[in-house]
Amino acid sequence: MKRRVFVRGRGAITPLGETWPASRDALAEGRSAVGPVRHFDVEGYPSQVAARVPFPLEEAEDRRLALARRAADEAWAEAKVSAAPERIGVFVGAESGRATYGTIFALSRAAGGGARFDHARFGEEARGLATSVHAAAVSPAAVASALAARIGAEGPVETISLACASGAAAIVSATQAIRLGLCDVALAGGVGADVDPFMLVGFGLLGALSTRGLSCPFDVRRDGFVVGEGAAFVVLAAEPGDTRAEIVGAARTLDAHHLTAPDPTGDGAERAMRGAIEDAGRVNIGYVQAHGTSTQLNDAVEAAAIRRVLGDALPDVNVGAVKGALGHWIAGAGAIGFLCALEAVEEGVCLPTAGLTEPDPACVLPHVVGAALRKPVEAALVNAFAFGGANASLVVSRCA
Amino acid sequence: MRLDGKGLPIVAVSTLTTAGLSGRGLGRRVFESNHPLPSEIDAPAPSRPEDVRQRKLMSRAAWFSTLVMRGALTEARWDEGRAEIGAFFGVGASGAEMDEVARLVAASMEDGRFSLARCGREGLDACNPLFAFQIMNNFTLCHGAILEGLGGPNAAFFSRGSGTVTALEEACASINAGACERALVGGADTALHPVTMAELEREGFLRQGLKPAEGAAALAIAATAEAPLGYVEAVRVFPVDRPRGALVPRTGVLRDAAVPAAFDALEDQPCDVVVLAPWGAPAREALMDLPEMLEAELSVDASLSLGESLAAAPALAWALALDLLVHLDKPRALVLSAGPDGDLGAVVLGKGGA
Repeated sequence: MKRRVFVRGRGAITPLGETWPASRDALAEGRSAVGPVRHFDVEGYPSQVAARVPFPLEEAEDRRLALARRAADEAWAEAKVSAAPERIGVFVGAESGRATYGTIFALSRAAGGGARFDHARFGEEARGLATSVHAAAVSPAAVASALAARIGAEGPVETISLACASGAAAIVSATQAIRLGLCDVALAGGVGADVDPFMLVGFGLLGALSTRGLSCPFDVRRDGFVVGEGAAFVVLAAEPGDTRAEIVGAARTLDAHHLTAPDPTGDGAERAMRGAIEDAGRVNIGYVQAHGTSTQLNDAVEAAAIRRVLGDALPDVNVGAVKGALGHWIAGAGAIGFLCALEAVEEGVCLPTAGLTEPDPACVLPHVVGAALRKPVEAALVNAFAFGGANASLVVSRCA
Repeated sequence: MRLDGKGLPIVAVSTLTTAGLSGRGLGRRVFESNHPLPSEIDAPAPSRPEDVRQRKLMSRAAWFSTLVMRGALTEARWDEGRAEIGAFFGVGASGAEMDEVARLVAASMEDGRFSLARCGREGLDACNPLFAFQIMNNFTLCHGAILEGLGGPNAAFFSRGSGTVTALEEACASINAGACERALVGGADTALHPVTMAELEREGFLRQGLKPAEGAAALAIAATAEAPLGYVEAVRVFPVDRPRGALVPRTGVLRDAAVPAAFDALEDQPCDVVVLAPWGAPAREALMDLPEMLEAELSVDASLSLGESLAAAPALAWALALDLLVHLDKPRALVLSAGPDGDLGAVVLGKGGA
């Protein structure tokens, strides 16, 4: 018999709000945070818009840490859980942080400064350079370590690096850890802080970003995703407290198809959704928080997979995709998606897909457009699909 | 996590070290002091057309990972139903080819300063447009999964040691829960990447005896098997207290944690072989008395022979231990890894019938 996994606390800092309630209210109104990048010069960049957190943040070695602390603090405070330190785990979806431009410049200089990297010279000068490369700024694990220290967690501390599926996959790992009895309480979620030149360069060169500057999942006008940033965390526990929601299904699959493109058959996505629903047992899915990146192929493949999975139940389901409002947080994406699904289950608020005004016939689904739809939702499905083909799906349900 | 019965069968092993790519023999080579010193690995070149195309997009660790995945799949003869096979790997901070970074930076310089505007205009054109695939950590897992057609449950854990042990733990949990019947699990990494070397220097590890290395290992584990190489009997990560802001625990604290961790993992069963994987001198000092306390017949320090390959180190130590069990015909081994992330990983392996 699996141990139950209850959702005890939520927290987020997003481009639309400093807390989850503030963000949720803005999302419910259908607002979008996508706008021109102004904090660095984007002249010549393939995409020149993003969804950036505009609020002041406390100083930290790295922007990921500053964002993650805020969201984690909020979730932890709401949860009001108590457990022995060794029974508390931390599970974070995160990718590497970015070294500063000064560091990159220093790296280049230490290696000769030319177009070829001089490894021998770099080796000789590495000691002098070392002070500018700080583990807290670049290590993916730095976020989880810092949060564990902050809340006094001495149980499992894990960093899941599965690109765009990282945040959801971290919640899957936390769920499994509680089910297996490895911990009783888990802080889980993800953070993305990728509104920087290197990500705009990297994803821009891949042709993955919107050149039109639109984040409009499932819309006919979509032409790529918009980079966003933020952090979202939940506190999960084996004890219910006065919670109203629990995680009942979780699954992860691989497409094994292509580096950037999803399998056009949607097989991996479909298996992840079916796996999570099967894991959940008998549930009535009323809301789907789709991965919905606003890229041509991803959205069409996901929409088709959702239709196949939900089949006859589809008319009773509504679909939203938060990336229309907040952009794509990469490692944090699945975690903020999870909070949106949780909102549907706990409050009956089905958040809309901002930017969606002309649904693509290839993406026909019962979309929530404009503003939030209010209806009772027994269970909600969350999707997160990554570059490289990793997929994660979760089912969150009202407590029986 | 203690596995029921004999444990989960290990059907195949593949390792990549300075000795090359091989299925078995790592333990024997190390035991007989016949393993080449850790250094840059002369990795096999791509052999299939699809490898050649994808290799251009891969980090070094991703190529290592692909090679050991393929090796384990071949040895296990898992040619069918690959879409159902899970993949759980410890991965490092995937490093791009530094020439790419150098080209981008060089093309972005203006009047001796790095210019963002110039980066947007000329820097972008100077580097491989698919450069991003080298720097995303999960691609150390995903490149191999794509080339080998693995489609089951999966996770890539960032690892400097314990994340790889967590990968094994999750793989075992997934098989036990019925999410998959077969899985590849392991780690691949290089500590020789210039940025990683700079980090290790900055953090003081090199000064304390960490011997940077690179490598990869994959184990093929299954719910059932007729004549496995061995069994995973138990696997667990033990968090260890460390001073605030410190990456690793003090030697005495690590020693105090290691003893109960070893006994906890073994659950009072005898242990014939102990394989240690300490990151450097302080961790080695903390673990060195353990084999005697456990009354093990044989102990091996994997890091002395193989160096510290971060996310790959625990998986290489498991492969080494398994090989020693087979080679020396011993029933049980404990592998205790203490990587530069500070926590302890304990894995108990049993000998199989193969």
